[in-house]
Amino acid sequence: MKAVGDEDLVVRVAGGDEQALSELYDRYCRPVYATGIRLLGDAFLAEELVQDAFTNVWRRAETFNPGLASFSTWLHKITRNRAVDLARRRHARPLSVGEDPLQIIPGGPEPEDKVDSWDVARSLSRIPNKHREVLELAYFEGLTQREISQRINVPLGTIKSRTTAALKNLRQIMTSPLSKESRGD
Amino acid sequence: MTEDRFGQLLGPYVLGELTADEKRELEPHIEECPKCRSELDHIQQTHSLLRDMSALAPSAELKARVLAGIRSETTASSRSRWRFWVPLAAALLVTVVLGAGLLQVIFDDSSTGVPLTGTALAPDASGVIRGERVGENIRIELEVRDMPELREDEYYEMWYAKDGDERISCGAFRTGREGTTTVDFTTPINARTYPEIEITREADDGDPSSSREKILEGNLGNA
Repeated sequence: MKAVGDEDLVVRVAGGDEQALSELYDRYCRPVYATGIRLLGDAFLAEELVQDAFTNVWRRAETFNPGLASFSTWLHKITRNRAVDLARRRHARPLSVGEDPLQIIPGGPEPEDKVDSWDVARSLSRIPNKHREVLELAYFEGLTQREISQRINVPLGTIKSRTTAALKNLRQIMTSPLSKESRGD
Repeated sequence: MTEDRFGQLLGPYVLGELTADEKRELEPHIEECPKCRSELDHIQQTHSLLRDMSALAPSAELKARVLAGIRSETTASSRSRWRFWVPLAAALLVTVVLGAGLLQVIFDDSSTGVPLTGTALAPDASGVIRGERVGENIRIELEVRDMPELREDEYYEMWYAKDGDERISCGAFRTGREGTTTVDFTTPINARTYPEIEITREADDGDPSSSREKILEGNLGNA
């Protein structure tokens, strides 16, 4: 089955569909969080950023114009704006005892000039559901191939070949010139 | 095992999920087959990206909090709508009641908001603020247009101000290259005692006080 596009989900969010927001959250909470960790250097603030960003998606869904940008680009801008705000507020108040100043965590996600979690998330949202399913179960839920087989009731051999096909498909979309978007950083 | 089947096992191979027998057959084949080696390299790269992505994830409880938040917001919003922009009579009435010459805001969905105008530094810039009360806070929506382009180490900051010298920060933001953005801020309800609104351009120099470099200004008291 073809994946429901991000932009279709935003239209449903604009109509008050909480399930659609839940689906967008599952697709993009990781890149938003990773951006928070990179820019804010703090897991607590990064979670605050995730909450802020998706609350903004809920409030502003009706202003989203797919003719101007993809959902991922739009969400990325919201995330950056909210991160600047959170960073500023943190910067303006005294640090608590033992609290580190704002910093980039060594070993955190790389700057966004190469393939990053935003590209991966956007590409994942564009591959067929059956491919996305095996990758999400393997990588995000940590299931083994056998456990995936049992979970979705598909033979183990099929799961193995489907996982390979999904990885190839994901790479193909990520490296497609049409897929790579400028986020205007 | 056929060539096709070898190719199909590359995904589980990078995941470390092959049986000992499958691995024993596949590894010598990879050594001999340039096509499979090339595919394995590509799959390995994608595998690394997914693994990195999975390593940085918010707590599982956060999603429930986000959904609960929007649910309560929707409920609160349907109970009462608070906005900044009011018909003049309503503003005056509330002002008298509070005895504090400033805006108390209650407005309906037809409001266009409080306008912000560009200063001499940016005469073409403009903006509008709208807001609603949420519990003991005011949620502000700020929309700006045609703002001057920022340097990498600069940002804009919104302030409540009064008496020319007192101000509190509402939050900071940046605009895109087109100079347009819409952002949300939340401030305590008692910030209403500051009737002036300023949008300043700030350098990221560690100084939390206002640069006084006003780009936009507006007055809630004139609403």
